[in-house]
Amino acid sequence: MSISRRKFLGWVGAAGLSTTIGKSATAATNKQFTGYPKSFAILHDTTLCVGCRSCEAACNKVNELPKPDKPFTDLSVLDTKRRTTTEAFTIVNKYDNPKDPKNPVFYKKQCNHCLEPACASVCFVRAFTKTKTGAVIYDSSVCVGCRYCMIACPFEIPTYEYDQVLTPRIRKCTMCYPRVIEGLLPGCVEACPMEALSFGKREDMIKIARERFRKHPDRYVDHIYGEHEMGGTSWLYISGTPFKELGMREDLGVTPAPQLTAGALSSVPMIVGLWPVLLAGIYAVSKRKEKIAQSEQKQALTSASDKEKPDESEIEEES
Amino acid sequence: MAKGKSLRIGAGIFVAMIILLIGFIGVFNVTALSKAPDDTQPIMFRPDIITFDNMAAFGKLEKTKAIFLHDQHTDALEKKNKDCFVCHKTEDGRMSQKFMRLKDVTRGELTKIYCDNCTKCHKEMIAAGEKAGPVKCDECHKERPWIQSSRVPMGFDKSLHYRHYRAQENKCDRCHHEYDKKSQKLFYAKGKEGTCRYCHKEKTEGDGAEKVISMRFASHLSCVDCHQQMREKKVDAGPLRCAGCHDAKEQLKIEKVKHVPRLKRGQPDNVIIKTGDKKGRIARMERVPFDHKSHEEYNDTCRVCHLASLESCATCHSLTGPIKATKNGKEITLETAFHKHGHQSSCIGCHESKQQDKNCAGCHAFMTKTRQQESFACLRCHMIPLPERTGELSTTKAAKMARMMPQLWKETFGPIYKVNVPKTVVLRDLVNQYEPAEYPHRKVFDAMVKKMDDSKLAQYFHYDDTMLCLGCHHNTPAAGKPPRCANCHDKPFNENNLFRPGLMGSFHQQCLGCHQKMGVEKYLGCTSCHKERKKGS
Repeated sequence: MSISRRKFLGWVGAAGLSTTIGKSATAATNKQFTGYPKSFAILHDTTLCVGCRSCEAACNKVNELPKPDKPFTDLSVLDTKRRTTTEAFTIVNKYDNPKDPKNPVFYKKQCNHCLEPACASVCFVRAFTKTKTGAVIYDSSVCVGCRYCMIACPFEIPTYEYDQVLTPRIRKCTMCYPRVIEGLLPGCVEACPMEALSFGKREDMIKIARERFRKHPDRYVDHIYGEHEMGGTSWLYISGTPFKELGMREDLGVTPAPQLTAGALSSVPMIVGLWPVLLAGIYAVSKRKEKIAQSEQKQALTSASDKEKPDESEIEEES
Repeated sequence: MAKGKSLRIGAGIFVAMIILLIGFIGVFNVTALSKAPDDTQPIMFRPDIITFDNMAAFGKLEKTKAIFLHDQHTDALEKKNKDCFVCHKTEDGRMSQKFMRLKDVTRGELTKIYCDNCTKCHKEMIAAGEKAGPVKCDECHKERPWIQSSRVPMGFDKSLHYRHYRAQENKCDRCHHEYDKKSQKLFYAKGKEGTCRYCHKEKTEGDGAEKVISMRFASHLSCVDCHQQMREKKVDAGPLRCAGCHDAKEQLKIEKVKHVPRLKRGQPDNVIIKTGDKKGRIARMERVPFDHKSHEEYNDTCRVCHLASLESCATCHSLTGPIKATKNGKEITLETAFHKHGHQSSCIGCHESKQQDKNCAGCHAFMTKTRQQESFACLRCHMIPLPERTGELSTTKAAKMARMMPQLWKETFGPIYKVNVPKTVVLRDLVNQYEPAEYPHRKVFDAMVKKMDDSKLAQYFHYDDTMLCLGCHHNTPAAGKPPRCANCHDKPFNENNLFRPGLMGSFHQQCLGCHQKMGVEKYLGCTSCHKERKKGS
């Protein structure tokens, strides 16, 4: 009986170990998601952008956002570095151009609509969805307001309506999902007079970018930002100045955010499953040792008392 | 038996723990950015840093390289009325650039020369109660990251060359020389002068009698020594301190001669560049008449085009590869030598860099920076010669040559712009938020024509009266009546014409792009071209 229990513990241990060794770290996600086929993307060519803020105005109009203090025609706004807010889903920032100091570089910032969004992977109520158009959209009706998405986003894009007491929402660019499914262009793209924003299939946008590199190799940094960053994004950028100088992170790597935590998450079931078994095993082993020791002690005692018994009888006999 | 089992289970637990640990390390593999060390010492930029790494020739260095500030020492000696010879020995009336020695020595001797002489002087000064440099090994041999070099390379441009030529009373042999292998001596060969770098390379090459010292040694040996000797004779001479040549600010103080007379080395005024090579192979393209004299004016040194020697291009380059296996001309055919993009020594590369000029970039920035496969522009260089009997120009050999020469191009084929350019064009295709834009077409055209006045290059290549039109009316035949913009530029992001911008994009890219490139700041805002449309109209 006792031997079979030991064997049982051994089998469980072996089974647990084999699961840990055999599984790869990517087990928790799809291997490499390269985006929905024929999904859309927007290519932002910073060499063409003139910083007119037409995109900001269009975004404000399309999303029915409150009017800002300064009108969109006021270009003095560009002198300070801004970030996205609950009332501005996109902003244009101005950066120095070391190549041509008279013509500064403008970089439009908004949600990059990752192919494998970090915000969606951390959201435990599934308020974020990566749609087939490429847009990452948000459903406020299920949101519990944990703001994990804000922490998860490597681009620091989602914003939270702290001033709304009863119905606070996460706010960010929608890539004009409602317009795109109707066959319209996203607001900012339609408004851009310079066509610094191009809209189309993601493959085509990459083709356009490469064609521009080929035609004007001296004008561009030979890299499409967003092609592989964080596993790829639906907003792509090309630029004449290094992306780092435009305040864009170059340390993100090419691994999608969900995959970064896949290793840790895949070990969770193992810990949950195996840990009690191991602890129970250790407990059982020590218990068993105790039991054996006890029984041995008892046996020793009984054998000792057996030897002593004749003496007692002798004494009895004597008395 | 029971002991063995528990041991096995213990080992199992141990292995499981290790695997778990490895897993966790993998998870936390996202490394934090390491902090940059903050140096409190302010960074000092100097043009006179000499790093002592002579020992590297003997193998691995035992100590950190010592940094030596040359000008600091020169100045200190000057204050004490001492000259260069405190540290530098002379041989045959020439000052050695090496420290306290004339020739290369062994490792031990070298160490002794530096350590003894440096510390000897420093110790003497300290004994006299003066401030002096280190006397211990590690005070010299230590990292000093706060001292950084601001040295800029020095060039001997045409102006400086002319000033030396004048000062040396036209005696080229003071600097120029050749090497005679038989007598193992330097001699002056008239008419064979070239730039120093043809022989004196980046690093010293060869050994013994065949040794060719590096450009760095050669220039300091010639320049500094000569300046030193001149000063001794109380003649005004060039700098002796490092900063005099290698400091950016000091360089600006060097006097420039405005009109440098042409260098005399027997070079031709005009050349007909043959398209064949020395092995008799032909390229079939027409020969290229080349105005050598004019091109001399545009460049500061012959070396811009004549990379390795002052001989003809076909000496090193051939139709199918190199003739001489030179290090630099390797595998470069004649075709590449003349046409390579982005290289200052090739015709096209240099002309292309001229297109970056503010006056040209408006149109040229938009043009593809790769070679056009079928280009009528080829014929502007590879000219089809005029028929043999064209008036008096064909009578003599010299005149025959002149027939093809660029000086005559302006008279014979110079641009005359007679195109019927409309005065204004109203762009009303996109009226929405703004009123139609009025484009002062003729004003722009005339301005562009005027900008070419000063450039022989521009005039030559924009020979046809419709040539200028192609800047905006691209991808269309050069003709008086180009197609309308909207014929090709339609709605944006058309999958059938992926690389073609839409109408609004193309207008703005063309107009604003050109204004930006040419520095036209007047027309950069929206309302400087089209007025805002009033609501309800």
